[in-house]
Amino acid sequence: MTSLVSARGVSKHFGDVRAVDNVSFEIEKGKIMGLIGPNGAGKTTLLKAVLGLTDCDGELSVLGLDPFKQRKELMQNISFIADVAVLPRWIRVTQLLDFMQATHPNFSRSRAEELLARTQVRRDAVVRELSKGMVTQLHLSIITAIDARLLVLDEPTLGLDIIFRKEFYGNLLNDYFDGERTILITTHQVEEIENLLTDIMFINNGGILLDTSMDSLSGTYVELAVVGENADKARRFNPIYERDVFGKKVMTFEGVDRDQLDELGEVHTPSVADLFVAKIKGAAA
Amino acid sequence: MITHQLALLKREIWEHRSIYVAPISVAVVMSLLSIAGLVTMSAFDSEVRLALLGASNIVGDNERQAAMTMFFLGTSWVFMLTLAILTVFYSLDSLYAERKDKSILFWRSLPVTDVETVVSKLLVAVLVLPLVTIAAIIATHLVNLVSSSIWVSIKGGDSSHLVWGSAALLDNWLAAFVVVVASALWMSPFIGWFLFVSAWTKRSPLLMAFMPLAIVPLIELIFLRSSVFAEAVFGRGGMMPLFRGIDLGRFFDEERLQVDGEAVRLLTHLDLGKFFASPSLWAGLIVCGLFCTAAIYVRRYRDES
Repeated sequence: MTSLVSARGVSKHFGDVRAVDNVSFEIEKGKIMGLIGPNGAGKTTLLKAVLGLTDCDGELSVLGLDPFKQRKELMQNISFIADVAVLPRWIRVTQLLDFMQATHPNFSRSRAEELLARTQVRRDAVVRELSKGMVTQLHLSIITAIDARLLVLDEPTLGLDIIFRKEFYGNLLNDYFDGERTILITTHQVEEIENLLTDIMFINNGGILLDTSMDSLSGTYVELAVVGENADKARRFNPIYERDVFGKKVMTFEGVDRDQLDELGEVHTPSVADLFVAKIKGAAA
Repeated sequence: MITHQLALLKREIWEHRSIYVAPISVAVVMSLLSIAGLVTMSAFDSEVRLALLGASNIVGDNERQAAMTMFFLGTSWVFMLTLAILTVFYSLDSLYAERKDKSILFWRSLPVTDVETVVSKLLVAVLVLPLVTIAAIIATHLVNLVSSSIWVSIKGGDSSHLVWGSAALLDNWLAAFVVVVASALWMSPFIGWFLFVSAWTKRSPLLMAFMPLAIVPLIELIFLRSSVFAEAVFGRGGMMPLFRGIDLGRFFDEERLQVDGEAVRLLTHLDLGKFFASPSLWAGLIVCGLFCTAAIYVRRYRDES
């Protein structure tokens, strides 16, 4: 079984609101999947369902388990950070390490100590005394010291400065990710993780807009910058989205041959952020 | 399971330091008060008072033992009161604080079940708090006995006979143990209710816990013209079915300073058979279990976002 997460027709309704609406996808072992969507798109609800924090309709299997019913077993092989660093404010760093060691069979204390040694977090500090960045560093150190088959990160670097963010993603790729592990990550700062991801999934209004590997992205999506009358010629290829940049028309195409567009202007692969906007706006238009 | 539970109990003690700070503070205050009492008494060298505390053997052994036991009871009730207050605040906070500061999201990211978590909070309320209280009672008693024996020795009395020989240590301590643990079991439906409110309420757990205790009897009185709820709830605060009718006159007959040697033993006033045979006790434990189940259910199934 290579599929770590498998969703078939997963839905979650809150009254009349369809937070997640009939969603199907697979996440395979060894992938770094970016889940990207605007606020209120259903990202967090979907992640909660994957983590067994909320129940849902449809078929959802994570590591071959029903996440809601077999939560305890699941949590032994999953580690996650929800939304922002939410460590209890009263706990001491050493107490936190003691507790993790006692309750988590896959937690490596020496690994956590090693990761903490690289930070400014003192071992005898109480969480309350730490800055927000340090709390996040502590939380990330603990979570990544768990030998988990699936790591789920929901906005892990929210509120952190750029230096720390770069460092975090660098460590994640170099130290944590080994091709055996799988990471599911959501963030607003798409640009920063673009090079990290192997797969992306766009979600909006509770549905999946795009689910593809980064490798196949350049084959499917093309961005073209044109001026003047070439714009009209380009429009005949049905761009999914069009915007103005410094007097040029920038159009995004799906499934159009690069060579056909090449003679009309500058052609390149859209960034994930631009593609995201194109897909969301294009779907709305 | 056991290692998880121990880790969870340790966590509760880390988080709620009042579990040991409050009883220790009371122990320190009570010890200082009794030492102050001895010093004050030295100033008013009244023969009778000295006799009661054992400086000289004017009265009989039984009387002195009764006096020492009364003194033990006099200091111990303060610990019981502290325990009651501590239990209310601990149980109301236990499942509320983690939701307020959102740390529940962290706790729930670990392979620890909601059942294990709620059970650990229940164990603290019905077992750890009473045990800490008993330890504090015993420690205070020992401090008081040591300071009295120093005082008696200074007065030229034989403290090994007058103080240590007269204090029924085992009887007093066992009785304290039985009464404190039995009270916790007897009051367990309230503990269950507080844990449930703590898991369920969105705000002000203290208000949410006590408001129904005032409103429900009122509604019952207005609409049903009865007071079943009030009697069940407030009646529980009365005598628990642990004590044999205590005859204070028999325990300590001040008029004649004659004391019944048997009656001086605290344990003879306690009836564990009657306590455990009481349907009220078991009904209370079932109510506690139901509220705890509800608390587990709420923690497990409610979406916190």
